[in-house]
Amino acid sequence: MENEELINKLKAIISPYVQDEEAFATLSEETDFVRDLKINSANLVDIILDIEDAFDIRLENEDMEKMLDVKAAMAIVNEKLAN
Amino acid sequence: MIGTDIIDIVEAKKTSNWERPRFLEKLFTSNEQQLIQNSENKFIMVWRLWSMKEAAYKLYIQLNPDRFYSPKKFECDINATSLKVTYKAFQCFISTKITEEYILSEASLLPHKMVSSVFKLASKDYKSQSKMSREALILSVSKKCNLVKSNLKILKSESGIPSIYYNSKRLNISMSLSHHGHYGSYATVSL
Repeated sequence: MENEELINKLKAIISPYVQDEEAFATLSEETDFVRDLKINSANLVDIILDIEDAFDIRLENEDMEKMLDVKAAMAIVNEKLAN
Repeated sequence: MIGTDIIDIVEAKKTSNWERPRFLEKLFTSNEQQLIQNSENKFIMVWRLWSMKEAAYKLYIQLNPDRFYSPKKFECDINATSLKVTYKAFQCFISTKITEEYILSEASLLPHKMVSSVFKLASKDYKSQSKMSREALILSVSKKCNLVKSNLKILKSESGIPSIYYNSKRLNISMSLSHHGHYGSYATVSL
C-alpha cells in the first residue's frame, strides 16, 4: 500500500480518539499517539482493534508493544499485509 | 516512587466498550479475564484492573524510562491481603479506591497507605484539564515543602516522564498525575 493511502486510512481510524485536534491537523509519521494526540491509553487498544478490523489482520502483544506512533503503526500494518 | 491512575466511571462507559470483541484478551491475562467473568460487576472489575496496570506502568517507567504499550504483561494479583502488579522481575503494591464516580489506583514499591488526592475538573478539554491537574499538584508541593509556588514547575523528560523543578533544580520528589473525564488525581512522595 502507498504510504499516503495508509496514512489516510490510519487517520480515519485514529480520529475519534484524538484529544488534541491541532496536533491531529498536522499529523505526520512522527506523530505520537499519546504525547502528541493525547489519546487515552485505554483507547489505544481500540485503535489496535480498529486497525485489525480495517485491514483484516491480527496484532500480537509484541506488535502492540511499540505501537506508540504513526510510523510504528504503519510498519506493523505493512508487515502484516506482506505476510 | 509513586504512580497514580484515575478512571471516571461515566467517561469509561461513554468512551470505551469493554465488551467489544477481543478487547479483554488484548489487555488482560487469562487469570484476569477469569476474575472479570466471575465478578458481580464486570464493568467495575475491568476498569479496576486497568487502573492497577496503569498505575504500575507509571511507576515502572520512572525506573525504566522507555515508553511501551504492553498492558497485558502487567499482571494483577488480587488476594485478600494485598494487591500487587508484576511485570517481568518488577513488582509493586497497589491501593485502590472505588466510589460511585471514580476508580483510583496508586502504585508504590512497598505496601502503603494511599497518598493520592482526587479533584473534580470542570472542563473536559484535555489541555485545560492537564493545566489544572499540574496546578493542583504544584500547589500541594508548595504547601508541603514550603516553597514559593511561582518558582515551581513541572517538566517532562524526553521519554515523557514528568518531574517537579524549583527554579531550575529538580526536586527529589516522585510525582504522578492522572486525569480522565471529570476527575483528576495526583500523588507525590519524597525520594
